[in-house]
Amino acid sequence: MPIFEVFQQAREGKSFEHGGNIVAPDADLAVLYAREFYGRRQEAHRIWIVPREAIIELNDQDLLHPPAVDRSYRTVQGYSVRDALRATRGAVAGSAQPD
Amino acid sequence: MSEQPPTQDTQTALITLLTAVADDEFILGYRNSEWTGIAPMLEEDVAFSSMSQDEIGHARILYEMLAGLTGVSADKIAYARQPHEFLSCLLVERRKLDWAHAIARQFLYDTADHVRLEALSRSQYTPLANVAGKILREEKYHLMHGDMWLKRLANLSDESRRRLESALDALWPDALGIFEPLPGEEKLVAEGILAAPMQELQAEWLEQIAPYFEQLALPFPARQDESTGRYMPTIQPVYGGRRGEHTQEFAELWEEMTSVYRLDPQAVW
Repeated sequence: MPIFEVFQQAREGKSFEHGGNIVAPDADLAVLYAREFYGRRQEAHRIWIVPREAIIELNDQDLLHPPAVDRSYRTVQGYSVRDALRATRGAVAGSAQPD
Repeated sequence: MSEQPPTQDTQTALITLLTAVADDEFILGYRNSEWTGIAPMLEEDVAFSSMSQDEIGHARILYEMLAGLTGVSADKIAYARQPHEFLSCLLVERRKLDWAHAIARQFLYDTADHVRLEALSRSQYTPLANVAGKILREEKYHLMHGDMWLKRLANLSDESRRRLESALDALWPDALGIFEPLPGEEKLVAEGILAAPMQELQAEWLEQIAPYFEQLALPFPARQDESTGRYMPTIQPVYGGRRGEHTQEFAELWEEMTSVYRLDPQAVW
């Protein structure tokens, strides 16, 4: 039987969050059961019900967590700014001193 | 509109009306709760159980309104009455654990209850009109549920259709008993507490559901009178519930339903 993933929006304007899923023979009954499982206690302002098969999954670790090539130059953490910072501070402090 | 309780001579009739509607909800809620754990699939189990809780919740609201009129607590009204004091229709007390039977009954009851609630929401007695309006909103889900399941069982397979048809054949005479005239209802109609007599509500109900049964080619023992245009049943209804006359199935239900209460009626919960 098809599985439907359910997303809830708690309040108008908030982003939808994945709540869980339900099993239902078709889309109409999925709506009925989604209300029952994910909206019965006023916890949802709006609900999205998506057939699991309609979801396009990206789960390629080569793409998401690329292999051990040094890519540190692309991120802030890749640079040691400590030495440069110290030198700059020293220069600023030096220039502030009266001769 | 009036918020005053009605005069003494219509009070009895109002109590009868509220008792009949509340008992329908209470007994059907009890019967449907018997599906908890054994419905066709997990999702449906939760949905159907939740709907039976809704019915019991509606009964509670009405029992509390009765408590205000009679001075007897809602719990006592629910559990301390004798079987012949219950005014529910026979449709809701039948016990048959067959899914097509459960769906057919729920569909017949919910559509009839909808017509009745709409009439009550137009009551000149404001507390009743307010309560009926609230219950109507919750019943919307029940109507959706009944609509979807009735269509599915009618079209899914030969077996589901055969079972649905035989359930409807068995249930129709009882279903017409929903609109068994209530003792004293003419007083309620005269004072605007009840918008129309039960038989008129029945005609309205039959008219509303006729297209469904026609479209799905399901048993529909009623036809439109050529001169008046009014829908009339073509079979004999089964009455008695509104006078407190019940079946053996009700006696067994009552025995079980009140067993804990009767162990110690003074207990504080």
